Amino acid sequence: MAVARPPPSPPRIEVRPATRSPRLNLLRTGRRTDDQRSWWGLLYLLPALGLVLPFKFVPLVSGFVDSLWHLVDVGGAGQFVGFGNYARMVGDPEVVAAFANVGRVVLTLPVWVVSPLLVAFLIHQRTPGWRLFRAVYFLPYMIAPVIVGSIFREILGTSGPLNILLRSVGLGWFAQAWLGGINTALLAVVGVSLWSFFGLGVITYLAGLASLDESVLEAAALDGAGFWRTLLSIVLPMLRPVVSYWAVLCLGGMFIWMFPLLFSLTQGGPGYATMLPEYLVYLTAFQFNDRGYATAIGIVLFAVVSLASFWIVREMYASSVARERA
Amino acid sequence: MTVFTGTQLQSLGRLGRSWSVTAVLLVGASIATYPLIYTVMAAFKTRSEFASNRLGLPLHPTLANFGQAFERLDISRLLLNSFVASIGGVVVTLVASLLAAYAIIKLRVPLRRFAFFLIVGSLLVPFQSIMYPLYDTMLAMGLIGQRIGLILAFGAFGLPFSTFLLAAYLGGIPDELLEAARLDGANSFNILVRIILPLSIPAIASLTILNFVWMWNDLLLPLLVMGGGDGKTLMVGVANFRGQYDVNIPLISAGISVAIVPAVIVYLLGQRQLIKGVVTGAVR
Repeated sequence: MAVARPPPSPPRIEVRPATRSPRLNLLRTGRRTDDQRSWWGLLYLLPALGLVLPFKFVPLVSGFVDSLWHLVDVGGAGQFVGFGNYARMVGDPEVVAAFANVGRVVLTLPVWVVSPLLVAFLIHQRTPGWRLFRAVYFLPYMIAPVIVGSIFREILGTSGPLNILLRSVGLGWFAQAWLGGINTALLAVVGVSLWSFFGLGVITYLAGLASLDESVLEAAALDGAGFWRTLLSIVLPMLRPVVSYWAVLCLGGMFIWMFPLLFSLTQGGPGYATMLPEYLVYLTAFQFNDRGYATAIGIVLFAVVSLASFWIVREMYASSVARERA
Repeated sequence: MTVFTGTQLQSLGRLGRSWSVTAVLLVGASIATYPLIYTVMAAFKTRSEFASNRLGLPLHPTLANFGQAFERLDISRLLLNSFVASIGGVVVTLVASLLAAYAIIKLRVPLRRFAFFLIVGSLLVPFQSIMYPLYDTMLAMGLIGQRIGLILAFGAFGLPFSTFLLAAYLGGIPDELLEAARLDGANSFNILVRIILPLSIPAIASLTILNFVWMWNDLLLPLLVMGGGDGKTLMVGVANFRGQYDVNIPLISAGISVAIVPAVIVYLLGQRQLIKGVVTGAVR
């Protein structure tokens, strides 16, 4: 932000009382002069409320109700089952597999948190071409995930570029149908999604790095701290708020942003190998027509995401407090 | 700006270091771009060339795949559907969120805190939890399979973030400006159009780009509302390419290459606004 002001300051700014805080000012004028007019002002809220209520809150409430019913016949009356749908999930191998899979995906979280930081830190060194690198790394995030999936089905295919590369460097024994193998499919999906979201992480960290105090980094360099030491012992702790923001974003993404990738990569297969809860909700509702059950799975998913995000935020907060005390 | 400053010896080391940094970044950048380059190259190959020369540059580049993509995959209709839905969704979102932010921040209407909480808080309602009930509700309103249904749904899902950002932005516009206009006899709508709107152009530009890109790229909402019928968007079409033309990779690649273009153009034109908007929330 440029601080310099043009010498002839416009008269408007002079009128402005500098002593009052804008927030207080806001509230006071509201009480005093606007009361009559403001009832009229409610009209301005109508379009927004007219969108949010039918598209968010009506479905949310009716979703809770639906999840207590067994709804299978289209148009037919359902049967009230109370929390039966929730109880049914515990013994449903597909649901268990889906939640176990998302647990496995969450285990890769450290890679998601550290690898974009590494790249952002390198770009932050302002080496030749850093602007171009920033633009290039962000590019994949602009590509729709469903397209990313289509592209990588070919890249990871049996005779695709990855396997050709492996064969050409003598690792032919390692070449395989990455998306077709029970053991590799989920890992491949994680890899593709990391490719897709990586640029967002780089940009997020770059914004964080730009807000750091450079003199601390210079002092570290003078004290002889190397690259890794600086990154792990200085940059990472100083960026803690950004790191936890990004971690929560990734975690949420693992639970609720994977649908288009799964849709075009594996459709949850082979078997249940890449089945994730969000994809299962879609399948259960629109392929198996088991709507009450699907909604119940969706609500459990929501609860799990909220709890996991809460836990991450608390862990990060707790460890930063412990660090400050030590 | 760099981490390593000081004596000449250090700056010599810095030179070597900066090249090794560039080398590492180059490796990562090629991983980020190669899949896209591969796809675009495949789009210019004939099927027989693709079979014999999968990785190399197209030796006999052809536009035939693009012609076929427009003919057989009906790309022009898909493009049109996507443009109508995305632009309509952007307009609905921006109009509704600007009006709401104005009422909440500048008119200070009754119940404004509650309204703000309702609108912005709906960001936390995850799509998966309301997927079927949303479909059900929209069916009851006669909006399933209708373009206007998708536009309104996009509008509703773009609303929380847009209102949040615009509310923060309007908070920075001095009240004295509005007070002066009011004394001159302007009513609240005049003030909105003549003062608030022109001043909010930077925020609106940023939101236009952000919302357009996600609406253009979204799969689940268009799939839910429009299904696979005539009104399906480009992304739903792309998802179906694979099943239908799995053996013809060059044709699929041509379709994908066309589908990527609008988002990439928007990215190139509005990179700065986009990046600023995307990191809102990361750094306070």
